Amino acid sequence: MPLKIALAGNPNAGKTTLFNQLTGARQQVGNYPGITVDHKEGFTLHNGERITIVDLPGTYSMTAYSAEELVARDYLVNEKPDVIIDIVDSSNLERNLYLTCQFFELGVPLVIALNMIDVAKDRGIEIKIKKLEQLLDVPIIPIIARSGFGKEDLLETAVRTASKNKRWSSRDISYGKDLDMTLTELVSEISEANFMTDVYPSRYTAIKYLENDEQILEKGRQNNGEVAEKLENIVSKTTDHTQKTLDVYPEAIIADQRYGYIKSIIRQGIEIRTFDMDRLYASDKIDKVLTNRLIGPAVMFLILFSLYQFTFSWSEMPVALLESFFGWLGGVIENTLPDGLIKSMIISGIIDGVGGILGFVPLIMFMFFGIAILEDSGYLARVAFMMDRVFRFFGLHGSSVMPFIVSGGIAGGCAVPGVMATRTLRSPKERMATLLTVPFMNCGAKLPVLALLIGAFFAESKALYMFLFTLLAWVVALLAAKFLRVTILRGAPTPFVMELPPYRFPTIRGLLIHTWERTYQYIKKAGTVILGISILLWALMTFPGLDDQRIASFEQQRQETLSSFSPEAVADLQIGRENFSEETKALAGKIRNINNEETETALRNSIAGRVGGAMESLTGLAGFDWRTNIALIGGFAAKEVIVSTLGTAYSMGEVDAEESTSLGERLKNDSNWNRVVAVSALVFIMFYAPCFITVVCIARESSWKWAFFSMGFNTVFAFFAAVAVYQIGMFFQLG
Amino acid sequence: MHRKRGRKFGCCFADRVKNCFGKNNCATRTVPGALKGCTGRVQVCKVNGDRKICARMASMGLYPGVVADIIRAEEGGSQCILKVHGGTISVDSSISENILVTSL
Repeated sequence: MPLKIALAGNPNAGKTTLFNQLTGARQQVGNYPGITVDHKEGFTLHNGERITIVDLPGTYSMTAYSAEELVARDYLVNEKPDVIIDIVDSSNLERNLYLTCQFFELGVPLVIALNMIDVAKDRGIEIKIKKLEQLLDVPIIPIIARSGFGKEDLLETAVRTASKNKRWSSRDISYGKDLDMTLTELVSEISEANFMTDVYPSRYTAIKYLENDEQILEKGRQNNGEVAEKLENIVSKTTDHTQKTLDVYPEAIIADQRYGYIKSIIRQGIEIRTFDMDRLYASDKIDKVLTNRLIGPAVMFLILFSLYQFTFSWSEMPVALLESFFGWLGGVIENTLPDGLIKSMIISGIIDGVGGILGFVPLIMFMFFGIAILEDSGYLARVAFMMDRVFRFFGLHGSSVMPFIVSGGIAGGCAVPGVMATRTLRSPKERMATLLTVPFMNCGAKLPVLALLIGAFFAESKALYMFLFTLLAWVVALLAAKFLRVTILRGAPTPFVMELPPYRFPTIRGLLIHTWERTYQYIKKAGTVILGISILLWALMTFPGLDDQRIASFEQQRQETLSSFSPEAVADLQIGRENFSEETKALAGKIRNINNEETETALRNSIAGRVGGAMESLTGLAGFDWRTNIALIGGFAAKEVIVSTLGTAYSMGEVDAEESTSLGERLKNDSNWNRVVAVSALVFIMFYAPCFITVVCIARESSWKWAFFSMGFNTVFAFFAAVAVYQIGMFFQLG
Repeated sequence: MHRKRGRKFGCCFADRVKNCFGKNNCATRTVPGALKGCTGRVQVCKVNGDRKICARMASMGLYPGVVADIIRAEEGGSQCILKVHGGTISVDSSISENILVTSL
């Protein structure tokens, strides 16, 4: 059996950074509390021996106050790792040792990794490590997780500690006369009845009873109701006593005593401070400005706008280059392969579908890079703090900001990581409301549709309309959240308590890992699911095709047209000299019209065309014809598909998602389209069912019930909104 | 103190702006009062409200008797940022109005 080492510590102490250093993994790290909610496993080799490293969520205590604390404690008591590395932030020793105290109470084999000793040094803090080691009776290794300094030493010490195979034995910390007496009484009852002693040390169980730990109380009731009742009665008497005499619950006294114990150790010359202890650090001074009620929001909007600008301006050239590349690739296939189904599938199905998405990779990459800077620097935690007030009005939580931004609240984005980011929310109802409304944001896949329709129908002020539609997405998402929170997700708001991590300079390595991890997910999606969907949609729009009689009829039309022109013009056309003379141009135009008509007839006769046609009577209320319906159905699979499907559906041949100008012109000149239809279509596309991947993700994060609800609720809402826009717009003749 | 508070609630725009920049402090607060609206160093006297939340805050270092430095606590905005045991904790209005403090 390989050795098992668990990494535990406070949020932002550097557990995941150390985990990545030890295992070479690329787990996401962020200067934002709650990045790691579940435990993650990795492996490392030490002296040829395979060691399992487990990264636990960041916790402040070992009491079940939050999901992370439950995950961490359950892992420790159920899996019983060989040793626990407690990552302690050296620049904040007092706070971090609070959790260490609770490891002592649990009696786990422990090694302390004194992380960020460089930060402590910068702050004028010197820690007497040897003395601290003696006082705590635990090996302590100074490390810098970001650079990897001390990691070998740490691993060596952890392996040595683990190999001692010591039994778990808890250490006693005094909690004052009243509580100590109660603890003695509780421990005697617990030991006598062997009450949960196979899982927890007796004294630990007693402390958790005093701390009113709901999980332990429930387990106790299930284990032995009689003993549990006895213990609860003893605790109840003590609680009444502390309430009457000190006006506090026992857990506050326990916290005070633990901090007292820590102080008593630190004051024995453990910490030598060069600077005044009362001074506010740069981080606090920055916070005084950046979280200011007036300056804070202004700076926040400026930073977010800069991120938007940075993303779009820097990605413009690489996006254009990729577009040209896929255009060139399509051209090569067009000229190389013989006409037929394979060629059609490669160009329309693969290059148009997958290429349309891969063309956005630079934009997505720059956006993720920008978000990584905000996250790693600690600023996003401040954004959550400032936005809490606004979000609270709509029944959401300050921590909902991050999922909204990731889903496309700023620029592009993707609902899939947005849905996953809702894990940081503690309240299930607030989390569900966030999870169901983040798909309303304008993700990267919706951007080409916005660009196409705004460019075609509102060309005079594109930026303004783009801004208005982004604003609309926010307004609708927040109102939808409010609606959910006052109906099916009704419940009291959760108080906002969050530790603000200190501002830090992000490391280039960290930023690159962040950016690559997220971008890779996007590329992987394009190469797997989107590829499959594109081929499927191509097949639905291609089969069953036209019957022989109709094909012959179009062929006859072509032959008749060719025979009505001079042999020279026909010869020019056949060798590709379409612009050689006026006559050749006219012939080419007529042949193109016949080809387009054939494509359109074939499309209408295809499976997708028939479905689109059948829905026309209903979707006509919102102004959508059968061709738009096909594109919208395609969008259920992935929103990226809408533009390329519209292109095919409007008989433009292979229209690339980015080359929307010609398609835009075509839509503009089509009798079924006008400004009102464009707005109606945009409203529907922005708010209808999330794409297939997001739905799967919602199901994974909640349940299929909520995933189907998301599809149904969003589509019904989007349809009524689109109908309202179309009917009102047409009534006032705004088209 | 009452005169000062009265003037603040009289609330001309300049006062509100001043309050936004944390110019208000509770240097004279000897009787425990709500945390919001204070700056400077205070001692937490009592934390009211939901027991689980109180316990969570205690585990984060915020419990009766502890000394805290207030980085930001606005009267109107009522969100607060406190520095306690070396960590920086942000709390919303529902919590800040339940934390009673005296000035140090």
